[in-house]
Amino acid sequence: MNRKIAKLNIPTHIFLLFVIVITYFPFLFLLMTSFKDVSQFRHDYWSFSLPLHLENYPTAWNVVKVYMLNTVVITSLSVLGALLTASLSAFAFARFNFPGKTLLFYAVIGLLMIPRVLTLVPAFVWIKQLHLLNTHWALILPYISGGQVMGIYILRGFFASTPIDLYDSAKMDGANIFQMYWRIGLPLAKAILGVIAIMNLLWIWNDYIWPLVTLSDNYKRTITVGLSYFQGMYSTAYGPQFAGYIIASIPLFFLFLITMRYFVAGLTAGAIKM
Amino acid sequence: MIKNKIGNLTEKGGYYLFIIPTFLLISIFNYYPIFSAFYHAFFRWDGVNTPTFIGLGHFRELFTVDRAFLTSLPNMAKLGGFSLAVAVTIPLFAALLISNLRNNRIQYIYRILFVIPMVVPWMVTIMIWRFIYDPINGLLNNFLNTIGLDVLAQSWLGNPRFSLLAIMFINFPWIAGFNLLIYLAGLDNISPAIFDSAAIDGVSSGISRWMKIDIPLIMGQMKIIVVLTVIDQIERFQAILILTNGGPGFSTYVPGLVLYKNAFMYSKMGNASAIGLFLFLLIFLITVLNIKYIKSSAEYGT
Repeated sequence: MNRKIAKLNIPTHIFLLFVIVITYFPFLFLLMTSFKDVSQFRHDYWSFSLPLHLENYPTAWNVVKVYMLNTVVITSLSVLGALLTASLSAFAFARFNFPGKTLLFYAVIGLLMIPRVLTLVPAFVWIKQLHLLNTHWALILPYISGGQVMGIYILRGFFASTPIDLYDSAKMDGANIFQMYWRIGLPLAKAILGVIAIMNLLWIWNDYIWPLVTLSDNYKRTITVGLSYFQGMYSTAYGPQFAGYIIASIPLFFLFLITMRYFVAGLTAGAIKM
Repeated sequence: MIKNKIGNLTEKGGYYLFIIPTFLLISIFNYYPIFSAFYHAFFRWDGVNTPTFIGLGHFRELFTVDRAFLTSLPNMAKLGGFSLAVAVTIPLFAALLISNLRNNRIQYIYRILFVIPMVVPWMVTIMIWRFIYDPINGLLNNFLNTIGLDVLAQSWLGNPRFSLLAIMFINFPWIAGFNLLIYLAGLDNISPAIFDSAAIDGVSSGISRWMKIDIPLIMGQMKIIVVLTVIDQIERFQAILILTNGGPGFSTYVPGLVLYKNAFMYSKMGNASAIGLFLFLLIFLITVLNIKYIKSSAEYGT
């Protein structure tokens, strides 16, 4: 893109850097304080302080590891499940003709209009009646069910755009429709599946109210709920408490570094629906 | 389209096998709760015993005598109005500045820097803000003390005059994240040819170009952000539940929180379903109005 006046750039950088400093300062403060003990926190509140109390991290890890493990298990199963059911349906909606197809497709996509606040309470009572309360299935099954909707919308568009010749030649080789899906459709959709995975992963990792009301045993809790209780355990010791927050942030941060491109696409993909 | 003769399974309805898992799940975990919500909004229901039909009873109660709910509506409006103002304008300003930068690499670095805070788990961000507002150890009060403004220091979340404002200022300066990405995606899509022809007409850079070209061409993105922000503000109560639990007094009550408390503290499931239905209808109305009355980029397009 063309002509921009150079002198505009200096104030722009100053402004953006200023905003970045304000945005990042609390996170840096968190990191810095996570290495302090109580007296360092009192006396060197604003500044970096030695010695580093690395033991804050094992202390925090002992508390959060079970939450982390639960969250990793729940998130992976939910994301994989949603990818599988979404891709199967999307493939059928994009590539096959069957009676009721349009109606069924809208029955799925219409769910994008339903806010979660509408279904929170009835879904809770329903999960209780199904005897799933206080099990991880109370999270995984609804997460798969809800997570696939946006996935079906995005993937249907993608599968519809894949060249028909690929399927035709597979048909010549005697492939049935499931082989076409598994061997041709799915590998082509790898990048899109990555985007949908990230989208769902962020949502599930950060969900708070649903795991709060459905899980009552402490050892079953997810990281968001666990952290909200975590604060009560270390009311004055900010070091271990903040170390716990840092530990909780590490998985997503590394995932972001590894898959930056998918990540940015996954973050914006939610807006495609409009 | 692939026709019917492929594979062995098709004649036995193989196509349907692809969509059965989806429909099994959504009928159990999405459609049943939706119908249950619509149904039980008109019943007195504790989630255990048989519901009793009371017609519009819950709505009458909510809109006439329920103080928590009645206070929550203006609070929601204030929070919503404020969020809308900052969520639409500030990321837009930042996106325009970033997209104006000549160097693509620097643009990319800024973009990444503004995305990283989104990767921080939501709960960690909320806990950081709780710490910022902490009356004794918090960043805000300690900062005020350091610069000699100790008179202003106070319990930000504990003072009913400031509690709602404190909730509004979460995530200050409101730039990082999703909205910025949406705007940048929109600005990236504007064809350079448009800027070239505008330059010939004398609209070459700076604010006049933003007003005449950039902003009209990303009205679609703005529309998305308006809808998503409004929906989010109508639904959202998680941060308030953790930071103030609606207090002090009723000063930070929002409808979602009333719903949560009525359901999970007082077992008033029917009442909570009625609030859920009301919020759904509100969201639905706003979405439809937005689609109908706010022009999108397609209508502005050249």
